[in-house]
Amino acid sequence: MEIKTFTVADLKTALLSQDFWLTKTLPITKHRAISYSHNPRADKDDLVLLVAYRDNQVIGYLGILPDKIFVNNAVYKFGWLTGWWVDPCFATAGVGAILLFKALNAYHQYLGVSGGSKEARKALDASQKFFAFKTLQGLDIRFRFNLTRAISRKLPTMKIFRVLFKIFDAMLDEIVNLRSFFWKRRNTICQRLTFEYISSIDEETGHFIQRHHQHDLTRKGKAELSWMMIYPWILSVPLKDSASRRYFFSSRSDRFLYLGVKVFEQNNGMVGFFMLKVRDDRMSVVYSYFESQHASSVTAAVVYHALAMDMSALSLYDERLVASFAELRCPYWSTKAVSRGFFLSKAFADIALTDYRLHGGDGDLVFY
Amino acid sequence: MAMHEKITQILFSVIDELNQLRPPEEHLQKDLETPLTGDFGRLDSAGLINLIVVTEQQTAEELGIPILLTDDRTMSQVNQVFRTLGTLADYIHLLLKEKHDG
Repeated sequence: MEIKTFTVADLKTALLSQDFWLTKTLPITKHRAISYSHNPRADKDDLVLLVAYRDNQVIGYLGILPDKIFVNNAVYKFGWLTGWWVDPCFATAGVGAILLFKALNAYHQYLGVSGGSKEARKALDASQKFFAFKTLQGLDIRFRFNLTRAISRKLPTMKIFRVLFKIFDAMLDEIVNLRSFFWKRRNTICQRLTFEYISSIDEETGHFIQRHHQHDLTRKGKAELSWMMIYPWILSVPLKDSASRRYFFSSRSDRFLYLGVKVFEQNNGMVGFFMLKVRDDRMSVVYSYFESQHASSVTAAVVYHALAMDMSALSLYDERLVASFAELRCPYWSTKAVSRGFFLSKAFADIALTDYRLHGGDGDLVFY
Repeated sequence: MAMHEKITQILFSVIDELNQLRPPEEHLQKDLETPLTGDFGRLDSAGLINLIVVTEQQTAEELGIPILLTDDRTMSQVNQVFRTLGTLADYIHLLLKEKHDG
């Protein structure tokens, strides 16, 4: 077994190489490698990918996303673990342990984890090197009933009646559309708001974010949010290509996009900015910036967009958006409390971090 | 008690701790020939990580000497060091000897 490590500079070289992309299993996709190499928080010598090879084939890999934590006047460079995979045929070869400890050593024991699979969590717990430092309590709002999908998942044999379910869904959708129509007419907030859309962060938004991110743990700004929007890890494409078949993590979706929405009130100017992630029929607010007194306007704007874009579901992880949603009285089928856990290595244990804010897109969550 | 014997006892105690977390059919034998990693290995990623961490802790507690099994030197020879309980005992012995010799 051979472990190869790739810095940002190495990855740029790998992008130009042919051999790197010939393995049966890919340790990264090209568009994800391009994203890694443009990360504004990464230096060229930062380790971003570890790959385990056996007989020139990939048997495991671990990605690291360099980031920074801001606490008072101190800045801590660290990395988020991302895309940790071990070939099940080599489960007892020690690959997972080597990848994890090498990553910890490369980042002087300063790492973070957002989400993660059950297996990854088990391994991280076993290491006793991480602690849960924050859990974001969010809300999943279901706007569309989508009986067809629910039945297909839970009772696959009922698929033969799919046409009937689709008709039923279409009828229910019309009810939702009607209720949405009346909600939009009734809701004066939406009538007072105007929007401006951006596909990367402009100067005005950059300054607005800077005024509102002082209590954010990772203080994302113009450069970081633009990078996320311009270099996605998931491409919006109709079919699986050769790379997505050879890569274990998500790399494509029928529909995937980021949208920056600037919110203006008639008499107050710009009152909010939120970055939306749309994947198929699901929308998430991954970053949001606004004063608390404008929470209801911004929440209304988010819901307005979810309905206008015909989303089945909307996920909110900003506690002010979650709280304001209850007062909106907008049409929906159901809501479900959801949570997102964030973990940091114990090297951070002595630093007071709990008062700082995390966003729903922090870690690597913005990319999936 | 000779150092190697002490290390073996520590590793058997580590195995007892690990076995508490494993179903009975997956219990590890307290035998220096017990395979840990490799083709006949009994530990998956989480199992090996657990073994490493508990071994570091128990060695420090029992012998009063901290050893590091997660450094790049150890990680570059995982399949040799963690092939069996015996190879792990030999490696710990080597680390302790290096510490003693300065």
